[in-house]
Amino acid sequence: DPVLCYVVSVGIQFENNCEVGVFSKLTNAYCLVAIGGSENFYSTFESELADVIPVVKTSIGGTRIIGRLCVGNKNGLLLPHTTTDQELQHLRNCIPDQVVVQRIDERLSALGNCISCNDHVALTHPDLDKATEELIADVLGVEVFRQTIAGNILVGSYCAFSNRGGLVHPHTSIEDLDELSTLLQVPLVAGTVNRGSEVIAAGMTVNDWTAFCGSDTTATELSVIESVFKLREGQPTAIVDDMRKSLIDSYV
Amino acid sequence: SAPPVTAATLTARDMPAGRKRPAPSPFAGFSPFARSLLFSPASGFSRLPLTNAAKPHQDTAGMPPPPPKRAKQAEPSSDMEEEEEERPSSDADEELSGSDGDGDSDSSPECSSSDDDDASQEMETVQADFAFFDPKPADFHGVRLLLKTYLDSKPWDLTGFVDLVLEQTTVGTVVKMAEDEDEDGEANGGDKSDDDGDLFGLITVLNLGRYGENRCIKDLKEYLLAVCGDKDTKEKLKSLLEDKASTVGLLVCRRFVNFPYEMVPKMYDSLFDEVSWATEDEPTQELQDSFRFKQYLLLVRILERKTPPKQKAKNNKDEDEPVIYPKLEDEIFRELSSWSFTFPIRAEQSAQQELKNYKEMGLVMCVKADVIPKFRKKLEALVSE
Repeated sequence: DPVLCYVVSVGIQFENNCEVGVFSKLTNAYCLVAIGGSENFYSTFESELADVIPVVKTSIGGTRIIGRLCVGNKNGLLLPHTTTDQELQHLRNCIPDQVVVQRIDERLSALGNCISCNDHVALTHPDLDKATEELIADVLGVEVFRQTIAGNILVGSYCAFSNRGGLVHPHTSIEDLDELSTLLQVPLVAGTVNRGSEVIAAGMTVNDWTAFCGSDTTATELSVIESVFKLREGQPTAIVDDMRKSLIDSYV
Repeated sequence: SAPPVTAATLTARDMPAGRKRPAPSPFAGFSPFARSLLFSPASGFSRLPLTNAAKPHQDTAGMPPPPPKRAKQAEPSSDMEEEEEERPSSDADEELSGSDGDGDSDSSPECSSSDDDDASQEMETVQADFAFFDPKPADFHGVRLLLKTYLDSKPWDLTGFVDLVLEQTTVGTVVKMAEDEDEDGEANGGDKSDDDGDLFGLITVLNLGRYGENRCIKDLKEYLLAVCGDKDTKEKLKSLLEDKASTVGLLVCRRFVNFPYEMVPKMYDSLFDEVSWATEDEPTQELQDSFRFKQYLLLVRILERKTPPKQKAKNNKDEDEPVIYPKLEDEIFRELSSWSFTFPIRAEQSAQQELKNYKEMGLVMCVKADVIPKFRKKLEALVSE
């Protein structure tokens, strides 16, 4: 059952950061979570996902901003050149074998900011190396499009999309939305997360059946996310109902 | 409340209140530590492009080019954005800040990180107009960014605290670039929106009694009591937070590390002026009284030197000070405080080379309201040096 996960009263926070998408990377096959921060952050992911996909604690290049440095989907995971050998090995050990884990030599090393993808399509920063583009196509098994979003070249930061839907920068024009939607073959909506933040991919992380949003995300933003990522389909679980109640309590 | 005050535009000739003085090193008022920070790779503004391509809100006055000892810079990449936490960048050299990479291929790297050669450096002066504004809801993200490390890493109602600061418009000031206050607000559709506020500084004071029922203040009080080690001080703190709370103002001043020091006295001026006006202008007697503070409580960060293990100290420059105050006025507050205490900070410490002999500590101080005039004089004197 698709479940929308957001912890409201305690909040999904990583040391008072609502930027869930900075400290984690979620795909349909695995989930990466940054080391450090409270156990609460890690356990929120674990409790939702551990039965289905591995949840792996890691750093990248010794940093905690792993969500912004790597990009991946069910086919592969691409890591920047700053990734250490130990980190690379650790990830290869913990991630399912069918997922190709590769460290690449791209100057624009914050791969998560430059590339956004689902299991079929990727959008990339216009200045990305041609070699990298080919690697993305090979390793991630996707069709690659160089794009901007609302005039921003960091496409990885300003949108988040799964195989079911996507959320993009609030200032994206209707024409751009149409074009992107055609490229990605999923419905898209322009919106915000974490109370008006336009850095979508920093504020949330999503796969085909779960989304995690920072604790500042408003009820309106959550309902948009629920709707575009089709997380409301099927019977809402008890968890979602409880959260809705607590949401109403918090926001009234 | 007061109309926005335009602070000094920061050129060498044109100093506040028409005072003239010889072109100083803009950072003379900083401790050697602070000046060394400006050269450090992690310093957010160290690689501001000083060319025509510079965006207005990235520039501040006379930023010296980085020292030559740093690794050769990569090509300036067109996608560099500001070095604020979580502001996306395509080159992830630094955790939680933009890259230290580039943009200065034109300037002559003729400086060092020690304090002796400042005058001989080639410094371009960049015009920057800062202005003071009342807090408003749109400042949420900028203020949140500044307050993110106010307490330690343990989660607390930070969002509630930010909301509280923004709601109190009669007393409190945010510092932004002068152009940002655009009445048309949303008009710049495609432009870089100031969603994150480009907020450089914040100052406010919150009455601990008036807001005592707010969850964020409860969290804060709990935190302060938890980190206070000394029994006697804890008694004093408790009294301040409980029975005396309605006469205590939590003075919050947060700003980016290399915020121009000339504006600091003005920030405090604007705060204390607003407090004094509030005691007359607030609509009810109760509200007016809530600004008649008898004491101010401050929570700041300092750096204490770790005890060097058997004189192994390598860098024996004058960064050998026992305590470093990132905010210059905190030293004055501490001198004038009725009592104070320090406590260790648990969150991950900065990995900067310059700071490896120092440990970040929290410092809590109680300052009587009647020493504020003395504080203002001392601050003014310090800044004029």
